[in-house]
Amino acid sequence: MDHFEVFGLPRRLGIDAAELQRKFYELSRRGHPDFHQGALPERQAEILEASARLNAAYRALRDPIGRIEYLVRLEEGRDTREGATVKPKAPPELLEEMFEIQESLQEAQSSSQPGGLEAGARATLAAHRERLLARHQKEEHRLRGPLSEAWDSGGAAERADVITAFKEALAARAYLRTVIDDIDEALGEVREGYVSHRRH
Amino acid sequence: MAYSEKVVDHYNNPRNVGSFTKDTPGVGTGLVGAPECGDVMKLQIKVNLDTGMIEDAKFKTFGCGSAIASSSLATEWLKGKTVDEAAKIKNTDIVNELKLPPVKIHCSVLAEDAIKAALADYREKHAPADARASSE
Repeated sequence: MDHFEVFGLPRRLGIDAAELQRKFYELSRRGHPDFHQGALPERQAEILEASARLNAAYRALRDPIGRIEYLVRLEEGRDTREGATVKPKAPPELLEEMFEIQESLQEAQSSSQPGGLEAGARATLAAHRERLLARHQKEEHRLRGPLSEAWDSGGAAERADVITAFKEALAARAYLRTVIDDIDEALGEVREGYVSHRRH
Repeated sequence: MAYSEKVVDHYNNPRNVGSFTKDTPGVGTGLVGAPECGDVMKLQIKVNLDTGMIEDAKFKTFGCGSAIASSSLATEWLKGKTVDEAAKIKNTDIVNELKLPPVKIHCSVLAEDAIKAALADYREKHAPADARASSE
């Protein structure tokens, strides 16, 4: 049973968050292990398993981007993000650019004083960060908006193309996000509502 | 996550960090990225054009310890090999040598991709004139 099936949902990305949460609570209540303490041990094990499955499904589906990542894995028949059969091709310019920013970040750090990065370097990095953040947001909007809609409304042929587009956008987002995180770390800033995804 | 001793060693003392100027004769450059985590890796080889041997290799990786260790190890293995021998290096060799756990296998794949990209770039720039003529 995949995570969509746990909720009785078709394999579509347009999921109403409030509705999903309501279903999650309802199913949780119904299947909560505490309500089945009198049941046979075998039945209790099943209930526990179903409860774990429900929690995993909710975690996978509640965030729209996480939902897309899950969908791609599901379509490719993978359990983890490892082992992608076909790697998305990153645009060489994007890699070059990320590499260059990382190099300048490293240089700024190696020439920094005990008090931290030089003011000029800080300003340059902050400007990079703003620019990259805007692009990161753009990728997320594309993923959640037009691409998700294309998946939901597309036939099998379109859907194969959408999966490729998802992978490319997710990869671009990952490259941008990594550099943003590294700049944040260097600047010693943590933004609200933005969870670092890395690294060791 | 616990890293193996070899990963820690390469991470703390990375071998062959740096870069060659791209256009230097004999240099091949590979720049690759891991979409899983956003790591980027540049790996370069410098081939002695008389002997056909890779006489030097350098890398720069912005990524996790395993990605750094994988590319560091790759540069060590590349030195002294011919281009054809270098093409035989597999990510599984790196996994075995560094004892990478399953969640870090993509780091070794990245290193193999970087080697392949560097070799391809070298070949593209340095295809021998006679081979080029004969394939036409």
